[in-house]
Amino acid sequence: MHLNWIGVTAALATFFGIWFGHVAVRKIEFVAPNVWLPALISWAGGIGLEAASFAVDSRAVSASLGILGVTLLWDGLEFWRQEKRVKEGHAPANPHNPRHARILAQYPAATTFDWLDRVPIGRRLSPEELEAIREAAP
Amino acid sequence: MNWFGFLTGIATLLIIGLGFVWVIRGEYYLGHLWWPYILGLGIVLIAGSLFVPAAWGSVLMGVAGASLVWGATELKEQAIRAELGWYPYNPKPKPRPPFVETIEKWPLPHL
Repeated sequence: MHLNWIGVTAALATFFGIWFGHVAVRKIEFVAPNVWLPALISWAGGIGLEAASFAVDSRAVSASLGILGVTLLWDGLEFWRQEKRVKEGHAPANPHNPRHARILAQYPAATTFDWLDRVPIGRRLSPEELEAIREAAP
Repeated sequence: MNWFGFLTGIATLLIIGLGFVWVIRGEYYLGHLWWPYILGLGIVLIAGSLFVPAAWGSVLMGVAGASLVWGATELKEQAIRAELGWYPYNPKPKPRPPFVETIEKWPLPHL
């Protein structure tokens, strides 16, 4: 029986593209003094991959380049979405990053504490519990 | 000019966008403990794409499967977001998945 590997190839490109972007955006936004530079690099890479996807003959290679290209284009936008999470306190701020230090000074919800570093407990946390968690944070 | 990759990319963007929606809805109504079933469904779709002769069909199945695998690892974080009050928390009891006692012993995947 002939197996068509193009779907598996596309699946690997999708999964690792999302994983890489997810981790890279968080790490880079954490240290970047300005989000424009990484975003522009990400968009340039995305456009380059999309251009390459038109140029290759192989459908499997073209699909992989097309998928990785759109994930990089999306990652460019994610730098601002990540910065917004930092302002809201939904992602930890880096006090050694001058941009984050300004956010910490300006946005009351911003924090160096990672709220998501826990396990689900199966019920909504009360405002008192949230306050206690925040108080206990280093 | 080979348009296959570009059009696949657009389709992938839409499928990932759909992932944002189903992870939120799925966690709200089912709860994060269903993650192994979502993961399994994703793997079945990816494996099934091997048997689809058409390039389009195979690619869309593969991407959809990968999106389900990724989403399965996001359910835990979504459950925490809801418990913290960042997203609506469903106060109604969530359906218990089959073999829930075993699933509860496994470490929750998160990438």
